[in-house]
Amino acid sequence: MAAVKLAGMGEMVWARGAGVLGCIGLGSCVGTLLFDPRTHTAALAHVMLPEAHDQDAFATPGKYATTAVPALLRLLDVPAALASRLKAILIGGGELFHNRSQALRIGERNVETLHKLLSELRIGVVFEHTRGSSGRSFEFVVATGQIRVRAVGATAVEQDLSAALGILRRAA
Amino acid sequence: MTTALNELRTDALREIGNIGLGGAVTALSDLTGVLFTLEAPQVMQMDTSTLPSLCCVSPESLVVGTVSRVNGEWPGEGAFLFPWQSACVLWQILVQMQPSGLEDLNELYQSVINEVSNIMLGNYLQAISQMTGFTLYMEPPAFAADMAIAVLSSILVEALYGQRELLAIETAFRTPEHEFRGYFLYLPETGNLEKLFDVLGI
Repeated sequence: MAAVKLAGMGEMVWARGAGVLGCIGLGSCVGTLLFDPRTHTAALAHVMLPEAHDQDAFATPGKYATTAVPALLRLLDVPAALASRLKAILIGGGELFHNRSQALRIGERNVETLHKLLSELRIGVVFEHTRGSSGRSFEFVVATGQIRVRAVGATAVEQDLSAALGILRRAA
Repeated sequence: MTTALNELRTDALREIGNIGLGGAVTALSDLTGVLFTLEAPQVMQMDTSTLPSLCCVSPESLVVGTVSRVNGEWPGEGAFLFPWQSACVLWQILVQMQPSGLEDLNELYQSVINEVSNIMLGNYLQAISQMTGFTLYMEPPAFAADMAIAVLSSILVEALYGQRELLAIETAFRTPEHEFRGYFLYLPETGNLEKLFDVLGI
C-alpha cells in the first residue's frame, strides 16, 4: 500500500485519484473526510473541537468543525452552492474517559456539530464510525473508496464505499 | 511561545516532582506493602504540540490512567498515565496477575490503576499547592485505557481551547524486582506556567 498521508491534530490533507488518507489515534477528535466524485478528490480534516474560540482558527482551520468544513470545500475547490454533490465520512468522536464527572462530551459535540454543518450543505454522510468509548485509527484508499477503521481491542472494520461514493469502476 | 525553562525553573519543577512523588511513594508502599524507590523525576515537556510523542513508543501503543478536572486558584486538567507495560508491572505487583489485552480489562484492573493514579495525581497536586500556596480542588478522576495518542489528544482538547503549555514530569519507580514508569501531566487553563513561576518569584 502507498504511504498514508496522515492528518495530525488540527491538520488537513487531500489527494486526487490515488493515494491513501488517514488519521491515527482519534479520541474525541473526528476525522472528517469529504469526497468529490466529479473530480475523484478526497480531503480530510482532523477536527478537535466543535467551534473556534480564538484567533487560532485562521492559522489552523482544520482544528474546529465550524472552520474545517468550509476549508475542506476550499481544498476541493467546490463552492458551497454545489456542495450537495460531495459525500462525507466521519470517524471518531469517542469519549475515552469513563465516568467523567464534568461531562464535557467533546466527542459527542464534535459529531453533532459536523452533522449539522454537513446537512446544512446537503452533504450526505455515507459512512460513519463515531461515538462510543474507544480511540480509532483509519485509512481511506482514494482510488477504490475502500475504508479500514481500527479500534483497540476490536476487530478492524473494512468496507468498500465505491458505490456510495459514486466511484465508477474501470472496465478490466 | 514556550515559557523559557531556565535552570531555576527546571529546579523548581523538579522540586515539585520530588515532593509529590515522595508522598506518593510512601502512600503506595503503605498500600501495597512493597517498598518502592524512585529515580529523580524528569521534567519532560512544555508544549502541547509535542505532547502526543510523550510517554509512548508509538502513537498507537496503549496507555492507562486517570484524568481529573482541577478547580481552585490554578485551574486546569491533571492526569497521571502509565504506559501499558508499566501498568502490567503494577498489576502483577498488586493483584498478582495481568490482563492479556484491553478486552480483558475488568473492573479489578481498572480500580487498581484508578487507585494508584489517584494517589499520584493527588500527591503531585498537593506538592504544587504546598510550594505555591494555591488552593486546588481535584474532582473525582475519570479512567481511560486506549491508544496513547487518542488518550493524550482527548486530555488536550478537554483542557485546551487555545492551550499551549503544560507541565509534564516523568518518573521511574523501582522495587527490588521491577521497574515501571508513570507520567504526571498538568494542563493549566491559563495556557501557560507563568502563574506558577510568578508566585514562586522566578
